[in-house]
Order: sequence, then C-alpha cells, then structure tokens
Amino acid sequence: MNTNNNVYTVVYTTIIVVVVAAILAFVSQSLKAKQEANEKADTISQMLTAAQYGSKADLSGMGNTAVLAKYDEEIEDAFVIDLEGNELRKLEGNDVYSPKQLKRQNYNIKGGPNKTGEPELPVFVFKNGRTVVPIYGAGLWGPVWGYISFETDLKTIGGAYFDHESETAGLGAKIKDDPSFQATFVGELADFSDTNVFDIVKGGAPKDAEGKSVVDNKIDAISGATMTSQGLDAAIDTWLGAYAKYFLGANNANACEEE
Amino acid sequence: MDAKLKETILNPIFKGNPITVLVLGICSSLAVTVTLKGALVMALSVIVVCGISSLILSLLRKTIPGRVRIIVQLVVVAMMVILVDQILKSFEATYAIDKQLSVYIGLIITNCIVMGRIEAFALGNKPWPSFLDGVANGAGYGLILLIVAFFRELLGSGTLFGIDILNRFGYVPNNLVILPPFALILLGCIVWVQRSVQKDLQEK
Repeated sequence: MNTNNNVYTVVYTTIIVVVVAAILAFVSQSLKAKQEANEKADTISQMLTAAQYGSKADLSGMGNTAVLAKYDEEIEDAFVIDLEGNELRKLEGNDVYSPKQLKRQNYNIKGGPNKTGEPELPVFVFKNGRTVVPIYGAGLWGPVWGYISFETDLKTIGGAYFDHESETAGLGAKIKDDPSFQATFVGELADFSDTNVFDIVKGGAPKDAEGKSVVDNKIDAISGATMTSQGLDAAIDTWLGAYAKYFLGANNANACEEE
Repeated sequence: MDAKLKETILNPIFKGNPITVLVLGICSSLAVTVTLKGALVMALSVIVVCGISSLILSLLRKTIPGRVRIIVQLVVVAMMVILVDQILKSFEATYAIDKQLSVYIGLIITNCIVMGRIEAFALGNKPWPSFLDGVANGAGYGLILLIVAFFRELLGSGTLFGIDILNRFGYVPNNLVILPPFALILLGCIVWVQRSVQKDLQEK
C-alpha cells in the first residue's frame, strides 16, 4: 500500500486525531466527578490551613472524608455577600467556591467584557472565631489564588494560604510551598479604609529593632519572584477591596455593641 | 527468553541508560527528585507512557505515512500523558503528588526518551520487543531518578518517603541539596561511577 499519497495522509491523520479526541473526552467525562471531589477537599483543606487548623500537609494527609468532616464540625457560618456587604444567601453543607468559581467572581469584581453579573463573594466564619475570605488574581504564568483569615477584630490577619497553577518552581511557587512566606502574613493588619488594602513590597517592609516586621499592612515580597509577588499583591488588594464594606460595616457593628 | 530480548530489557537499565549514557531526560530528573515519592510517581508515569506509546506505535508502524510520522507519534504520546495525568488527578492518594509534580507530568510529552525510543526502536520492531524496550527505558530513567531522589531527600530533608530517618539524630537538613544544582552534582557523580566501571564509555 502506498502510504505516502496525500489523500491517505489526510484521512489517516484525521482518523487518528478523532479517535484520540474521543478517548480523551470519554476518560475526562468519566473521571470528572472524582477529580472534582479531590479539588473540593483540597480547597477546604486550604481554607482550614488559612484558619490555622493545622498545616496544609497534615490536613491533606487526613484524606478527603476526614477533611470534609472537619469542615462540617468547625464551620460556624458560611454565606455570600454583595459589594455593599449585604448577605445574599447562605452556603449550605460543604458548598465552597472552586478556583473556577473564584475566577468568575474575579471578572465580576473587575468588570469588563467578561463580567457575567454582580459579584457574589463567599465568607466563611469558623468556630475558632476566624473569618476566611478568598483572593484570586493573575500571577506570572497563570492564576494565583488563596485564602486569608482574619481574627475576630476583622483587621488582624490570622493566617493565609496561597495556591497557583504554574508559577516558577523554587521562585514564584514559594507562595504555596514556603510556609514561612505564608507565616509573615500572621499578625499584620489589613487597612480596609484604603484602596491599597495590603502591600507585598520589594526592598523590605518596615522592621523593628529586632528585625521583625512592624505590625502594619506591609510584608516582604519573595526575592526572585517579583512578578508573582506583584500579582499576588494586586489579587489581595482587589479582593479585600471588594470585601472592604463588609469588614468595615461588621467592625462598626461590633463597636456599637461594645458601647 | 532469547538473548536479543534480554539485551533489549537490560541494556537501557545500565549499559545504555537513557540519562547517564544517552543524556536524555535531564531536565525532569533535576525537577522531580526532591522527594522519593514524587520521583517514584514520575518514574512509573514515564514507564507507562513509554511502554504503551511504543506498543501502540509499533502496531501502527506499517500504516503511518512517512511524512507525518512525528506528528502521529506526538498525538499518541500526548494522549498517553494526558490519560496518566487525568488518572493521577482522580485518586485521593495521588492527587497531592500530581499537584506537586504539576507541569512535569504534562512535560513527559517533551521527554526526549519517549520520542527517542519510538523513533529509534518502535517504528522498526515488532510490538512485543517495542513494548519491552519502552518499559526498560522508562525503568532505566526511573532508576536514576530514584537514586538521585534517595540522596536528595535523605540529606535535604532528613527523611525517606516522608518518614524521619536522620532528623531524630539531630541532623540539620542541608538546603543546598534541595536546590536543583545539587541534582546535577549527584548526576555527575553517577556518570563518573558508571564510566569508571564501564571502561568502553571513556573517550580515548
């Protein structure tokens, strides 16, 4: 058989591509449910890490069922708010936002051609008093996202966990892999009255005499990962900015109660 | 088993090892050898991809049009890699590892060993030897990966497969070992050892 004539080549490649596409589509569809369950457990373990229920490695090591059970046990309240800080609806069961949903909300916050509706932002309140909110934005090579928890004063950061799709291993990937970077967020203050809610600065955040970061809204960026740090900074500003009215409003309500 | 088949299996593991002798697949051997677990999953993935792609392409070898042969190879290899990635993502036990290996699983597509063995062996041989050749080359790659990862995890984190070995004796993990350059140093040492044992590899 002459395998080198044009018709044969075109027909052959077409068949190969169609067969491969069919196999991949079938496998992708049949494994989707399992993958989504894994992703959900991973997302929940990220939120639990941000709320300081343990290290990410320990929480992931517990297995999916245990993570979901832990979440059920520790969640106090989960709801969705709009930009004005008004509660729109509750999030029932272990309903959380996947990175895909965060992406959609990111478009809604920022506006532009991809906007599909008004922002609907999730808030998770845990039984240890910490409030967890997500952030999402663009890193250097792909999206970066994560969760930041606030203490009961709704200003002081209680913990943070970040994830990414394809940042450079060893540099930008440190936002996820380096617990000491995430630890620098703890104890810092977010300034919700400013559009620049939180800063990841190059060249050093203000330090006290002992070399510890001063309690303010600035922390050190990661050396060698300027673009990722800037992306993360922008993501935090955009998202915490969108939550600002909720946090400020809740703070004022607290203040009233105390009086 | 006849001698030729035996040679097909044993040669890539030591005498013609794809990493230390052919110097293929170096990039991923630097990237995924920080922990033994990661290296093991990567090694198994490459064995599966390499073996099955070789088998499929060897079965198709008489029908593939010569002018688009590389493209057909790529399509088959890419399919295998995506399948492996999807399967790793679906199991609880391997989901975290898949996330840790992130892009490197996808990059098996560009691993020179896979395409190299298909082009050099599978397209000219029967399916069974081709399958064995693919598996053996994957295993040769995996063996080096595990050796490098053994030293990097032991000295860099003081653990093996995540189980504490040295830290309990007050060992302070060496950060240099975690960084990619140390993988290159280790690989150099392995090549050195192999060349001193196998004199015929030394250039005159």
